[in-house]
This record gives sequence, C-alpha cells and structure tokens, in this order.
Amino acid sequence: MKMLTNIILTLLFVLCANPAWSAGGNNHAQDVFGKVKIDMGNKASLQRGAKYFVNYCLSCHPAQHSRYKRVADDLGISEDMTVDNLIFTGQKFADLMTVSMRREDAKKWFLGVNPPDLSTHVRAIGPQAVYEFLKAFYVDDARPFGVNNIRLPNTAMPHVLVGLQGQKKAVFRMDTDRNGREQKKFSEFELMQSGTLDEKEYDQVVTDIVGFLAYLSEPAQLVRKKIGIGVLFFLALLGVIAYFLKLEFWKDVH
Amino acid sequence: MSNESQGLMGWIDARFPLSKMIKEHLSEYYAPKNFNFWYYFGSLALLVLVIQILSGIFLTMHYKPDAALAFASVEHIMRDVNWGWLIRYMHSTGASFFFIVVYLHMFRGLIYGSFKNPRELIWIFGMLIYVALMAEAFMGYLLPWGNMSYWGAQVIINLFNTIPFVGEAISEWIRGDFVLSDATLNRFFALHVIAVPLALLGLIVGHILALHEVGSNNPDGVDIKKNKGADGIPVDGIPFHPYYTVKDIFGSVVFLAIFAFVLFFLPDMNGLFLEHANFDPANPLNTPDLIAPIWYFTPFYTVLRAIPNPFGGFFMMGLAIVVLFILPWIDRNPIKSIRYRSLLFKINILIFAATFIILGYLGLKPVTAFYSQLALRFTELYFLFFFVLWAYSKTRSKSFWIGSFIVLLGGVTFYDKFMNSSGDDPSLIWKTWFIPAVYLMVTLLLPFLTKWDSEKEVPARVTS
Repeated sequence: MKMLTNIILTLLFVLCANPAWSAGGNNHAQDVFGKVKIDMGNKASLQRGAKYFVNYCLSCHPAQHSRYKRVADDLGISEDMTVDNLIFTGQKFADLMTVSMRREDAKKWFLGVNPPDLSTHVRAIGPQAVYEFLKAFYVDDARPFGVNNIRLPNTAMPHVLVGLQGQKKAVFRMDTDRNGREQKKFSEFELMQSGTLDEKEYDQVVTDIVGFLAYLSEPAQLVRKKIGIGVLFFLALLGVIAYFLKLEFWKDVH
Repeated sequence: MSNESQGLMGWIDARFPLSKMIKEHLSEYYAPKNFNFWYYFGSLALLVLVIQILSGIFLTMHYKPDAALAFASVEHIMRDVNWGWLIRYMHSTGASFFFIVVYLHMFRGLIYGSFKNPRELIWIFGMLIYVALMAEAFMGYLLPWGNMSYWGAQVIINLFNTIPFVGEAISEWIRGDFVLSDATLNRFFALHVIAVPLALLGLIVGHILALHEVGSNNPDGVDIKKNKGADGIPVDGIPFHPYYTVKDIFGSVVFLAIFAFVLFFLPDMNGLFLEHANFDPANPLNTPDLIAPIWYFTPFYTVLRAIPNPFGGFFMMGLAIVVLFILPWIDRNPIKSIRYRSLLFKINILIFAATFIILGYLGLKPVTAFYSQLALRFTELYFLFFFVLWAYSKTRSKSFWIGSFIVLLGGVTFYDKFMNSSGDDPSLIWKTWFIPAVYLMVTLLLPFLTKWDSEKEVPARVTS
C-alpha cells in the first residue's frame, strides 16, 4: 500500500513540476536577448522602473487598476515626491493610473489596437516576453512608425525608448527549416546610430521597467512570501503539538 | 456521563436533540480503528468547503458581477481591499485543492471498495457532490472575467451545440443571450454563490447521514459491526470523537501547511491554478493561443477531444462521468479492500490512476497528431478499465477471457481501421495501437496464463 501511495505521489509531483507547464519563451530568443533578472527586493530598481514607466509608457498604456498611492507606499516614495515627479496629469495622489487618451483615438492612432492596460498584462505574458520585446526593435521603413520588432512582428507600438537605445538594424539570413522550406531567420542586430545609453545601461533600464511592471501586476508579492514564512512556521509548531496530542489520545487504542 | 444532561445543555436537550446528535455523529459514532492515510481526505474536503464558503463570502462583499466591472473589481480586491489578495488566493487555491482532495477521496473509495454494498448510496451522493462541484467550479471560473474565463466558458457552453436538434437552444438558454455576455456572467454569479452551494450542502448532509447509518468502511474492508462486544459496541471500533477528531486535527494542520505553501509562494502554480491568460481581461475579439480548461477538468476534456465527431466526443465525455455513478454495479467482487484482491486487480487500478493523470496532462497540451492519438488510446484505457473491473468480479472461464480479449481488441482495431485517422502520419495509429493491446493482454490473458488472479483470504477482524 505504501508503494502505491509513493508511486501516485511521485506521479503527481512529476506532473506538477513539469517545466513544459511553466510559462516561457523559446530558447533561441533567450540566447539573443538574455534572461531578465528581476529582484523584488531591489527598491531602487523598482523606483527607477516607476520613473521610466510614467515617463515613457503611461502616456498611452494605462495601469487603471493601480493607484499612485499604492505604488508610492510600496516603493517607499513620499507623497510630495510622487505628486511632483510621477503624476503628470494633475490627478490626485490616491487616483488610479489612467491615461487621458480616449480609447477610440488610441485605436485610430495605433493601427486598430488599444495599447493594453499594463496593470496585469505582464502577469499574462510573463516578464521575459516584455524584456525581449523592449530589446527587439529595429528600423523598418515599411512600418508606419519606422520600426518593427523581432519578438512581436508588425507591432503597432513605436520604439519609445529609441532615444536611449539608439537605432538598430536587423540582419536576417536565409535558413531551411525541418521540412526543407526556405525561411527568413533573424540573425543579429547592428547598431546604426547610438542613443544616450550604451548597451549595458539600456539593459538596466529595460530590467527596471520590466521589474516595475512585474511588481505592478501583483503588488501583494512584496509581502506575501514574508507572511507565508510566518504562517508556515506557526503551522509547523501547531503540527508538532497536534501530533503529540494525537499520540496521547491514541495510547489506549490497540 | 449520565444520560440526563444538566444546566444549559439540559435546557437545550429538552428542546433540541443536541446531545443526541453529538453522540450519534461524534462521541458514539464508532469508526474502525485502522483508518490509514487515505482516510484523511473526507474531513479535509469538509475543511476546504469551509475555506471556500468563508473566503467566498468576503469576496462577494467586493466583487461586482457585471461584465464592465468584474475584472476591475477582482483587481480592486487584489490591490485596494485590505488582505483582499489573501482572500482571493485562498479561494482560487482552495478550488484546486478541493479537487485534489476530492480525487484522492474518490480514489480511496475505489481501492477499498467503499462504494460496495451497503454503501452504494453514499457513493451516489458522493458522485452528485462531485458533479455539483464541477458545476460550481466551472461557473466560478467565469467570474473574474479574464480572457481564459471567457473563452473557456465559451468552449464548454458551446459543447451543448453538438446535441442534435435542441443543442443551440440549450446553449442559448444557458447563456441567456446569443453570445457569452453580461447576462451569462450575472446568472453564473447567482448560481455560483447561492444555488449550487445550497445543493452541495444538502448533498453533503445526505452523504454523511448515509455514511453514519451504515458505518465507515476501512482499509481491510471488514465489517466491524459483525464483531460486537457485550456492550453492543464494535470491538474494532473507536468513538470518532475524540480519536479521529484529534487525528484529523493533525491531518488538517499538515494539509494547511501545504495549502499555505501554495497560497503564499506559488498562488498561480505556474499557470495551473490561475491560468496566465486570465490576467488579461475578457476580449471576445482576441482568442488565447491555447484554450485549456483548468487542470481538474482536463481528463474529461481529453476524452472529449479524442473523438473526432463533436457529439460523439461530448457523449463520451458525459459517459466518462456517468460510468462512475454505476461503479457499485460494475465491481461486484465481494472482497472490498485492494489488500485482498488479486495482483491483476492492483495492476488494473494502478494503470487506471496513471491513465487519469495522463488524460489530464494531455488536456493541457495543444492538439497535435501524436497527442490526439495518445488521447484516443488513454480514452480507450479509461473505458476498458471498467470492463476489466467488472470482469474481475468473479472467477471466469478461460473461454470468457479469450473471447472478451478478441472482441475488445477487435473493436479497438476496427475503430482504427475505419474511423481513426491521424492526419499527416498514419503510422501513429499502429505505433500507439500497442497501448490498448498490451493493456488487454495483461488484464484479460494473464488471469488464466498465470496465478496473478489469485485473491487472498479476508481476515475476520481488522488488522491494525
């Protein structure tokens, strides 16, 4: 019977631990762009991310489920600092992080798509996908905004960080796939005109933004693990007591 | 304790059978003393039910059942409501744990024959609870109004379209609209928070009353009431309270530790408990890349997808659940516990457990030629299991085994020859054909080729 239990538990475990079930992009993309390293304990990085977010993203992408106050409280930014540096719309400290752009206008301007709300979107597609996306822009005159994206081809989003990253050209080569069909495959980026940041600094900016967005998609993650450790510690203690209580009561069962 | 209670208890007892009920169901309900690990899951299911009801009450205080507000109200709970994230994660984690616990509870019933005479009604009550729980979970999953909520519900409700003649009318009636909309969300909310929970509570009361009428089974499958002492109490029975209450407290704490670990450290379980696509709001114009139901439905979803004919798939999926209802009349072997059943029975049970898990795994995968062949093969195993279970009810003749082997393998092969198609790669059919073939060989030919079908003698009393 024990064996049966073990086999079933093992099967359940293997099933739950199967990496195929966890979110992730394809491996080739990670080779090109590198893996994003997010540290929720790094308040400075999250604060910088908040700064870049309100400066570069929030004009078009709302975070309409999140309040400035919550962000400020969580990241240790004072109310005055927030009102002076993070709120550009004349909104109040406790307001939701909405944009004033009308949805109909946005849809017209951005080729029929509304810039997605970023309060939860990162949790849907994963931080790695956003990290790669922000590093995957290249010059493409065929597109309305003059740029295209390796990670999300024909994206409607302009390269808002181009001043920081600079302009890049994408080099493609012809490749045959498994079925022998010819395919245009991305090979590498070439810098055409440098921005104000070098590659390492730009990576840091993108990491800060992605880290902030990951925080924004679930603010509770800053505290839940800490609370969880306390809860588990309490339950472990209670478990020991419950175990000896059971032994005591069961002494007379033979 | 004297029979006449004093004080406040006496005052109540004169007006309401409180002491009597406590005695009947706790302090003088005699349970076998040899319950093992598997017997925790009944009380754990009750614990999860309480968690779900309590966390659900607090969620309804902040949730808005309105297509325009639902998603935002859930995020409001996650961000602006004090401890709202904890309540929400309790409820979402609780939903998955409810099914983990219930599946293990059902498996316990299967291996120890707890559904057999005289406990058939307990099993049927249990199955009704399971079906109600599936309805409850399905409707609850729509409420966050995420994109997977929307498309998952879309797919499942559209299954009714496959019913000939009346299908479309039925799915329209369920939705309350021509498309999945606010009307659907509103009625699912009503059903999720009051209608189904009421039915569930009633069924659970029935389940427990029926259990306490006939008494609990145990890992030996021995009837403890056949061996009573001079005082009329089963010799191998111990009062549920305090013995099993203290034992279940320990079990509950261990369970809560696992529950808390998931809740605090892995609330979305890598997309298994909270699917990633559900963090985008419902969008009728944007289908998620892969629509997979939440994990506890996927075994049946695989059965659905394994049959190419839409109504055929829907029918088989229904049958996969219905067949469980009649389990007491399928496995008619008088030996209850797996401990004294044959080696082949044990193998059959193990294969069934693996089949169920594999079916669940396949339901989360995209449809490829290979996966759909596997889905078909394990669907075949799922249903063949019940035939084998029935066949193992008594000693059968050699010709019965050979005859049923030929008929069943012939049936499988006939299906492959005339109805199974495998797209690009027809060889997949023959490469996976060995799965049901080997299964049938092991379960139907070994009974007369080996001694593996020999059963052990059931002891007169429970072993410790």
